[in-house]
This record gives sequence, structure tokens and C-alpha cells, in this order.
Amino acid sequence: MQATAMNFFVEPVTHDTAVIRIGKALDFRNAAEFKTTAQDQVHAGVRNFILDFTDTGILDSTGLGSVFSLYRQVSPLSGQVVFASVSRPVQVVVQLTRTYKVFRQFPTVDAARDAIR
Amino acid sequence: MAEYSILVVEDEHTLRRLLEYRLGKLYTVRTAANGEEALEKIAEELPQLIISDIMMPKMDGFALQTALQERKDTRAIPFIFLTAKADEASRLKGLRTGVDDYITKPFDLDQLLSRVERLLDRTKMFQTQLDARIGKDFSRKLMPKRLPDVAGYRTLFYNSPRDHGGGDIFDWTEFRPGSYFITIGDVMGKGLQAKFYAFSFLGYIRSTLHTMMHTTNSPAELMKRVNQALMGDATLDDTFASLLLLRWEPAKNMITYANAGHCRPVLTGPRGSEILTHSDIILGLDQNAQFKDTSLVLNPGSGIVAYTDGILEQRMKSGEQLGEEGIIETVESAYGSAEPVERMIDSVLDDSETREFGDDVLIFWLQRLAVREHREPRWFSPFTDVSEGA
Repeated sequence: MQATAMNFFVEPVTHDTAVIRIGKALDFRNAAEFKTTAQDQVHAGVRNFILDFTDTGILDSTGLGSVFSLYRQVSPLSGQVVFASVSRPVQVVVQLTRTYKVFRQFPTVDAARDAIR
Repeated sequence: MAEYSILVVEDEHTLRRLLEYRLGKLYTVRTAANGEEALEKIAEELPQLIISDIMMPKMDGFALQTALQERKDTRAIPFIFLTAKADEASRLKGLRTGVDDYITKPFDLDQLLSRVERLLDRTKMFQTQLDARIGKDFSRKLMPKRLPDVAGYRTLFYNSPRDHGGGDIFDWTEFRPGSYFITIGDVMGKGLQAKFYAFSFLGYIRSTLHTMMHTTNSPAELMKRVNQALMGDATLDDTFASLLLLRWEPAKNMITYANAGHCRPVLTGPRGSEILTHSDIILGLDQNAQFKDTSLVLNPGSGIVAYTDGILEQRMKSGEQLGEEGIIETVESAYGSAEPVERMIDSVLDDSETREFGDDVLIFWLQRLAVREHREPRWFSPFTDVSEGA
């Protein structure tokens, strides 16, 4: 089963793990859509999120904020949010905010999938 | 996702379906068959525009419109009446307070669509203007009216907020005699909401400083408190902020700072410029986050330049963002000029993709003077009596 929600492509891995493909940008224009997409997944029982940043050229503070919100929502439920295939612009923001301590990073989506499973 | 939601109130099934279909291509459409149903739908969620028939069973269009006029939250919703052509009296009656337009049946659908569009655009324009006005007010209140004035030092500040900018904050206080606290931060998000949160957040920082004044003077300790306060507060749920807290003791030429995921400041001086590298996690993510103090001595002529992400993320002609390397170069080239901050702004704009900033820009430049400032000596003239009480 696959589902697309607005700009964000969601690929279920297990009953409680899913990959969300972040497109070219996650910023103030689509952060609300990301929240809705992630929210629907949380309601459906997903606790572990793999965010695929392969194509992401823009991650602004509103976009990052929406990722933080997801983290704050799932971490009390023993869930996690991990980053996969992090592009350079995303890496810059992660470095700046020192959030690599919170979001584990994996070179590829497959590597993340194997580690989380 | 459709930006606007429209409520269609029409008792005739075919027309209702037609309107729902045509408007549904552009907007989120809900329907009601009479005034009573309409009020139920409105109670569930306020629409951005209402199109209503007049003659309907149970509760007609006039009764609906009167009911909406009585409520504060529904009074301003744009309202279009659909009137039967034969019913001239209704048409005139329709031209009353709170009705923005009327359209005579049978009507041209394209004409209806263009009027709907025009009304929604106008509403949006009012909203944007109002937001901009409130945003400007917030921005002004978030910024200081004056800067610390200390002999042997120079402080410069630049801020240009944008209507759709974010929640930059800057504040300073002489929290003990000769000891200053400088706060620079950025509340994540855009627009009015970010500004509102920035405003509340600044209140937190001020009260934390005030409460802890007698317990500690460690920026890291204060940072920890601010983080805990931020995470424990339900109203500030989902608020994340980067923050740089600097303690400045001019008499010792000492700076001690803690950095929570904020843009890393630059240390500049006659020997060059470098990034002050230590920083910890951004505020609002980890309840148990730890922060560390870093101290440094400012030698004659050296200074600290702190800023927010607006300038860091500025798009340059190269297609890349300015970035930390760009910031260092810019500070380096501005160092030594009479107005270094203006020089920084100019040089960044000169190399930008477009000659304006894409986001809020905030720069704070604090520099120890190379030679102790020459203050005007007091003149005592032998010809004028300047003795006390003269």
C-alpha cells in the first residue's frame, strides 16, 4: 500500500515505521502540509519516521520547525525521527542547530530502514 | 489544498450541485439547503465566503444574513445573495448592511466566479495589511531603543525586519553594575505567529535573567533554565528557538557566551576573523539539554559580531547562500572601516542575487577600541566661575 499526500510521498516500512520523501523544499510554503501528512501517519500508528532528504535543496526554519514538532510528538511514544541521504543544504542547517544529537543520520534510506527495523 | 472555503446555501438541488461542482474546482465548498442548515455548518467551521439564495424553506436568506450580522465572528464574512430577477423588491432589500454583492438569477457562472474571486482577494488584502501593521508593531517592540554605552567600547546594531520575516530577537540589560547580558535569538517560523512567539519568548528570557540574577551569572545556566521553561509551557508548545547569550564585562574585557543552536558569532580583530565554534542544541527539543560556557578576552581592537540567519541564508549571485565563510569574509572586509555594519550590509547586497534581503536581517557588532577613547576633557576657565553652587 502506498499513499501520496500533497507533496509528500509516504512509503510504509512496517506497521509503525514509514519513509516520508521530502521533495525539493521543506519551507514556510509547505510546512503545514508536512505536518498534516506526518499527523495522519501518527494517527495511523506510525512511530518511527525516516525522512528522505535526497532531493532537498531548501530547508528553512519553518520547515525544520515542523520536523521538530514531529520529533516532540513521537519521542514520548518511544518513536524516533531519523534523517536519510542528507543533502548539503540540509546538513548545513542540522550543523547550525546542533540537532544531529537528536536526529540520527543514515547515508541511504535502505540503511535507515535496516537500522530501525 | 484549496486556500478558501465557501458555503453555498441553496434549496434547489440542481443549482446547489452545479455551484458546488464549479466552485469546487477552485475552493473548498460546503453546502446547505436552507438558513438553519447553514448556521449549523458555520458553527462547525467558519467559511471565508457565503453565497446564499433568498427564498428558502425553514429559514430564508434574509433571516440567515440577520443572524450572521448579530455575531461578531460571522459579521465580517463576505456575503453574496442570489436573487430571482423578478423579485426587484428583494433585490433592493438585499442591498443592506453586511451584503457585499448580489447576483440575479438566472446568472452567468463565469460572472459569479469572477465576483467571488474579487471579494476573496479584497478580504485577503485587508488581512495582509493588518498583519503587516501588527507585525511592524511587534518588530519595533522586539528591538532596543538604545545600546549600551561603555567607555573604550563601540556597539553597533542593524535591524531590518520584513513583513513576512520571522521572529528575530535582540535585547540587552546591565544585570549587575558593569556586567551586561546580551540576548540574540530567532524563534522558528514565519510571519505574525513567529513574531508573537518571539515576543512571549523574550518575556521568558527577561524574567529568567531577573529571577536568577542573584543565583548565577552563567549564560549556560540561564540557557538551561530558559530551555526548561520553554519546554514546560503548553502555550509555547511547538516553539523552537535558537539563542545566543553573551555576558560582557567591559572592565575585564571579557566575554562569556552560551550558544543554543544559533548562528555562530564571529570574533574579529587586527589579526583576522574567525568563527566562535562552540554551540549546543537549539531550544525546545530536549528537556535535559546541557549547555556550556565559553570565555574569551577581547584584545585591543577586537570585537564580536553576532547575527541571525537572515543574512546567513541570503542568496548570492553565485546561486549559493552567503554561509559562514561568506560572513567571515564580509566581517573581515568591513573591519576597520568607519561604519563596519553598513559596510557589511552594502557588500552583501552588492553580491546578492537581487539587491534586497530575502528575510529579516539583524547584526550586532561589539568592539573594543584599539586606543582608549579620547573623551572631551573638561575645561576650567580661569575667567569663569564654574565652582559648585555658583
